[in-house]
Amino acid sequence: MKSKFALALAVCASTIAVPAAYAHHSFAAEFDGSKPTRLVGKITRVEWTNPHSYFYVDVVDSKGKVSNWGCEGAGPGALSRRGWKKGDLKIGDTIVVDGYRAKDGSNLVDARRVTLPDGRTVYGGSPGDGGPGDNGTDQGALSTSPAK
Amino acid sequence: MPFLQHLCQILYDSGLGTAIRESDYAYSLIESVHVIAITLVVGTIAVLDLRMLGFILRPIAITRVAHAVFPLTWSGFVIMFISGSLLFWAEAAKMYNNPAFRAKIVLLALVGLNPLIFHTTVYRRVHEWETARLAPWRARVAAIASLSLWGSIVIAGRAIAYF
Repeated sequence: MKSKFALALAVCASTIAVPAAYAHHSFAAEFDGSKPTRLVGKITRVEWTNPHSYFYVDVVDSKGKVSNWGCEGAGPGALSRRGWKKGDLKIGDTIVVDGYRAKDGSNLVDARRVTLPDGRTVYGGSPGDGGPGDNGTDQGALSTSPAK
Repeated sequence: MPFLQHLCQILYDSGLGTAIRESDYAYSLIESVHVIAITLVVGTIAVLDLRMLGFILRPIAITRVAHAVFPLTWSGFVIMFISGSLLFWAEAAKMYNNPAFRAKIVLLALVGLNPLIFHTTVYRRVHEWETARLAPWRARVAAIASLSLWGSIVIAGRAIAYF
């Protein structure tokens, strides 16, 4: 009887522990919604890839130290529907990324709002990932992004 | 660079791999096909496993259940294998280091071994027990192994996205 109860408890716990899985992985699986971050830096690498895109920027801090940050965004399909094309980011371009830091403390952010070199601002989140700005539409809500 | 990793990088950099990885819709389409094929494979295998364990279809001979699900399982397997290979192709260089993917490959090897052992041993004398409500213990062990391995494969596959 006791063991049955323990089993039931374990099943319930595992159900709660498994993060909501959408198309790939949800925002909360890897990122901390309480750690908004703004990165301004030069593009060093672009991965226009499924199921998530990545781009990397060199950020210079106040002491002049350069660190490379990874920025995760939605896949090519979702980004294309927001008018963001593969060639829009070029190595050496300076961009502004408003995002949230990875839970593991690494130099990785989930890019929720990206200001492209041509001045356009694009929502970067995966549709339906449950993160900040995810309002159920393709375009997302840019206004809820952090670091105003 | 280890040979396998080198091979993964070649696949990753290939035209087809890049095209799928950078596609607007192909990747998610292949992903969906893969998941549907998994339901076909694992679902039909589970029907046979549950029959051997005596949970379902008890009045029906095990061989009849096996023959009924056989074409579904194998057509599902072909679709699952092709779609899975394409997904791997697109992300090979990243998959090489992914612990969940590595676990999945090991589990797939084990789940392939299971029917090999089953069909060369206890299933050879299936006509002695095909109408039994409950299959012999060795067949039941195979059924439990199959159910848990396939369950673990699905979990490992889903976990790939989290590493």
